[in-house]
This record gives sequence, structure tokens and C-alpha cells, in this order.
Amino acid sequence: MAIRIQRIPSAPPAAALAARAVAIVLALLVAGLVLAASGADPLRLASQVLGATFGSSFGLEDVGLLVTPLILTGLSVAVALKIGAWNIGAEGQFYAGAFAATAVALFVPGPTVLMLPLMFLAGALGGLVWILVPTLARAYADVSELITTLLLNFVATLMVYYVSTGPWLDPSGHALATTARLPHDIPEFWGIVHWGFPLAILLTVLVAAVLNFTRWGYEVRIAGSNPQAARYAGMPFRRRLIVVMLLSGAIAGVAGMLEVAGTVHRLQGGISNNFGYLGIMVAVLARGSALGVLAGAALMAVILNSGIILQTQGITVSTVLAITGLILFFTAIGDELAHYRVTRTKPVGA
Amino acid sequence: MDLIAGLLQTSILAGGVLALAALGEVLAERVGVVNLGVEGLMALGAITGIATVVAVPSPTLGFLLALLVGLLFGMIFATATVHVRANQILCGLALTLIGTGLAATIGKAYSGMPAPATFAPIAIPILSDIPLVGRALFTQNILVYLIYIVLPFALHHLMFRTRHGLDLRAVGENPAAADAAGIPVQKIRFWYVSAGAALAAGSGAYLTLAFVPSWSEGVVAGRGWIAVSLVIFAGYRPLNAVLAALLFGLITSLGFVGQARNWPIAAPFLSMLPYLGTIALIIVPVLAWHKVRRLMAAPAALGEPYYRDVR
Repeated sequence: MAIRIQRIPSAPPAAALAARAVAIVLALLVAGLVLAASGADPLRLASQVLGATFGSSFGLEDVGLLVTPLILTGLSVAVALKIGAWNIGAEGQFYAGAFAATAVALFVPGPTVLMLPLMFLAGALGGLVWILVPTLARAYADVSELITTLLLNFVATLMVYYVSTGPWLDPSGHALATTARLPHDIPEFWGIVHWGFPLAILLTVLVAAVLNFTRWGYEVRIAGSNPQAARYAGMPFRRRLIVVMLLSGAIAGVAGMLEVAGTVHRLQGGISNNFGYLGIMVAVLARGSALGVLAGAALMAVILNSGIILQTQGITVSTVLAITGLILFFTAIGDELAHYRVTRTKPVGA
Repeated sequence: MDLIAGLLQTSILAGGVLALAALGEVLAERVGVVNLGVEGLMALGAITGIATVVAVPSPTLGFLLALLVGLLFGMIFATATVHVRANQILCGLALTLIGTGLAATIGKAYSGMPAPATFAPIAIPILSDIPLVGRALFTQNILVYLIYIVLPFALHHLMFRTRHGLDLRAVGENPAAADAAGIPVQKIRFWYVSAGAALAAGSGAYLTLAFVPSWSEGVVAGRGWIAVSLVIFAGYRPLNAVLAALLFGLITSLGFVGQARNWPIAAPFLSMLPYLGTIALIIVPVLAWHKVRRLMAAPAALGEPYYRDVR
């Protein structure tokens, strides 16, 4: 009997899931150790987080508020990944969507019942416009969309910072570095959680259905897993790529619209909370499944909310970002290790 | 004339950040590994530099410790991407998140504090008196000479004029063939990726000890990503990378000059210039010169892990 370690081309789902769980636990363990080394008491912090999150409906409502944009930025990244494109610019498209929705809300008069759909469209269009140049550059010049989408994040942040401190600054003078309160709110659905939450879930299910049950979705998936095969089969790869990337941008833009119209009610500099970057994490955790996006977003929302709860303990949004990075790192390693299988083989000729 | 001299001096200083980080990324990508953690490594280097000079007023020590921190994180990254063969894009993004987040967390105590000791400009006698360009070229800190002259020429020589350079390029182009020829693929990948990470962190320390010079959250401001982009623009060559960095430094300093001289453009728009410029510069050449494309192409095995025994 000899023991052989063998790599198999596609990881068995069970192994992948187990590897992920181990990865998340390991990442939290490392984070806990680092926190302990810097003088904090990770166990006390953890119990504080769990108590504040799950101990009351307020905690769950906070998570519900955070999960909405995370579902959509996660969906945005996941959709692009379906065709093999890295949209690292969900952050920028989020800002662009929030920007466009705010512009419509502030400068177009109309009844809320009409304005909200209009803002929704504006948000989607804002995100779409923001990914347009990276999309065309990838489709026609094979320029890495990963870098172009990312660089535009900085431009979007600066643009929102500029309008919210300059031309669109709240004229009442009560608020600093933010626009006036938007005249239209998305109504609440449960506690402080607005209707954007069920809408985000609905959109996810819809996109998943299109990808899984239509011919178009089938072609996108084939193009993503094997572009060569897709071309030989006569599928219009470039057209699929363009549509999918634009859709990805539009979804992130919608996330920005929902955040500004449902949660923050004003456009301001830090409105995104790194939702775009955390969306990458959500998409990776989802492993290409829609239900996975929902689960990944829920996990990231709890982690992000923990950071907000622990702000008084010297833990910041940045600490959460670092912990997210650790999870991503261990997940990447776990994903690769899930491909390996240990087999026992009989020696040849025995 | 004063404007041009000032612009040139700031361009060189600003470009140095990008040049050092880009040289590091050239090392990693030439052996076939994309390191998207540059942004995070720079943040770690930046905070290491500041924290060191606050404790001990020696910028040299700060720079060296930043290199060391970069090397350590690079070795972790290289273990994951080269030996475990985990997805390079994910590991790189993770490193960026970890580095940025960790640096910002540590950096809270140092926020807004000007660096108590910095790399001061040294005027080279006679040369620095040359009209117009003298001050810009020859009154710079010591790292500028290291980054623009010593390092790029040394790396160029190593990569294109030595046997070892041929080996390391082979590892990036065709690891299977290199392996068959007896070149230690994994070892070369591991050490070049780690060394590249050290340089990236070093460029962070350059940022906080010579260029800005202070720490604030977000001080790196996407420079790591610009460095990654200009490696593509530079066709993965060290000398080109430094020239490209200088060009990007010029774009950055245009923004500074504009703000200082009250050009009728809002500051945020001037701050957008480096990012928009980068996007333009990686898209336009591809559209313009099809022939150059092959010459400037990425190493053939870039981004692909090497498995010896798996088909």
C-alpha cells in the first residue's frame, strides 16, 4: 500500500465547503491572536459582538441594513466573474450610482412614487457608465479590466467628495461635507431596514435564474469557463462579455442608489463603507452561486457590523478590512487545497 | 523657467515612489507571478518607516526595516502563490486588504504627525549649479539616485545580460521547459516574488520618509495600483518602468503645481489626473501600435502556477 497525493481538476463541493469553513475559522483565529497580542481580549470582544448583533432585533436590523448593498456589490462581482472578468471597481460604480441617483433626486421635481423608480434607473445607468470604458477596453483591446475598473474607484471617490463638499453642499449650513437630505426615501420594510433589502434578494434570484435557465446564461457560463470553446461553438464572446460587464456595473450602481435613498439619505464622501471591495469577498465566498452570494453577504455584513460595534474599543473599519483580507487569503489557499485527494494505491504488480 | 525646474524636481521625487514599487513588480511578474498586493505592501512599508523614525530618528533604518517587513509579507504571499499555488489574484487582493487595513489600524497613533527624520536632499557640488535642470536632477535625496540609476541598471543587467537572468525569464515564460533544463523554478519564483514585495514596501517608506513626508490613512492613495499598471505599460522592463514612473510623476506633479498656482480647476479634479492618466496610458498604446504589442507582451506563464506532476 502506498499513499499518493493527487490533484483533481475540479474540487469536490464538499471538500471546497469544508476548506472554506476551516479558512474562515483560521482567519478569525489569526485575527484574534493579533488582537490578543496587541492587548485586547478577543473572547470578550467576540461575546460583545455576538450579544450586540444577535441579542436584539436592533442588532439584526443593523445587519439587514448592511447586507443590502453587500448582496448587490457581491452579485455585481459574481456576475462579471461568470464570464471570467474581474470587476474590482464595484466601489467606484457604487459611488457613481449614488451620485446619479442623488442628482436626479435633488434636481428633478416629482412625486416620490415616480421619483424612486427614476432614481433606480439613474443609479443603474451611473454604474453602467462607470464601467463602460473598462468594458470596451477589455473587449476591443484586451486591456486588463481588473486594473482599469480599480483605478476608476479613486476617480469616483474624488468626484463624490467634490460635489458633496462643493456645488451640492447642503445649503442649510447644518451639515458639513454632505449634500442636502434627499426629498425621496425608500420606505421601511422591517424596523429600520428598507425595501431595498427584499429588492436586492429579488434581483439576485432573477439574475441567477437568467444565468442558469436561459440560453443566454448558458452561453455566458460557457464563455466564462472556456472562451476558446465558446468561440468555436460560434457564440459571440465579445458581445456577451460587454453585456455582462455592463450589467455588473449597473448592479453595483443600484447598490449605491439604494444606499443613498434608503439608508444614508445624503450623498457624502465615505458613503460606501468599502462595500465595493467587500463585494469581491462576497463573490469569492459565493463560488458562483446566487444563494452563495446571499450567504456570503450575510457573513460579511455580520463582520462589518462587528467592526462598527467595536469602534469604541479601538477597532476601526480598517481593522475589519484587514480581517476580511485574512479571510480572503485563507479562502484562496483552502480553495486550492480542496483540489487534492489522498489515495491509497496498491503497488503495481501486487 | 522656475516652473519647469520645479515641475521636473517634483516629478522625479513623485515618480520615485512608483519607480521603486514598479521595479519590485517587474521582478515578480518576470518570474510569472502577478502580485496585486503592492498597494497593501506600500501601506505597510509607509507605516513601518514612520513608526521607526518616531522611535529612532534614522530614516535609513526606517527604510531598511520597511524592506524587511515587505520581505516577510512577500514570503508569506510567495508561500501561498508559489508553493501552495493558490489563486494569485485572490492572494494579491487579500494582501492589499490586509496591508491597507493593518497599516491604517497601527497608523492611528501616527496620523498627521510629520516625520521627525527624513531623507534630506543632497546637493551634488557643481552639477547642482547647472542652470534649469541642475537643481532638479542633482539636489535630490539619496534614494532617488538609488531608484533611478543604481537599481534599474543593475536589474537590467541581471535580467538581460547574465545567465541567471536568462533562467529567471525562462521561469516566467515557460516553467516546464525551465524545470526540464534543471532550473529551480519554485525557488526562483519564491525569492524574486519576495524580493519584489520588499521593494514595494520600500517604496512605501520612501513615500513617508522622503516624499510626503508624514503618515495619514490613505496616504498610498492607489499608487500601488498605478505601479502595477505601469509595469504593463513598460513592457515588463526595468529601465522602461523607471521612465514610465517618471512620466507618471510628471502627471502627479502637474496636479500639485496646479493647486499651488491656483489654476481654475478644482483640486479633486487635479487629484484625478494620475488615475485617469494611467487608464489612458494603458489603453492608448495597445490601440496605437499593434507591432509593439508583441515586443511588450507579458511573460507567457504570467499568473499561472506551475505544477510539475499534474497534467
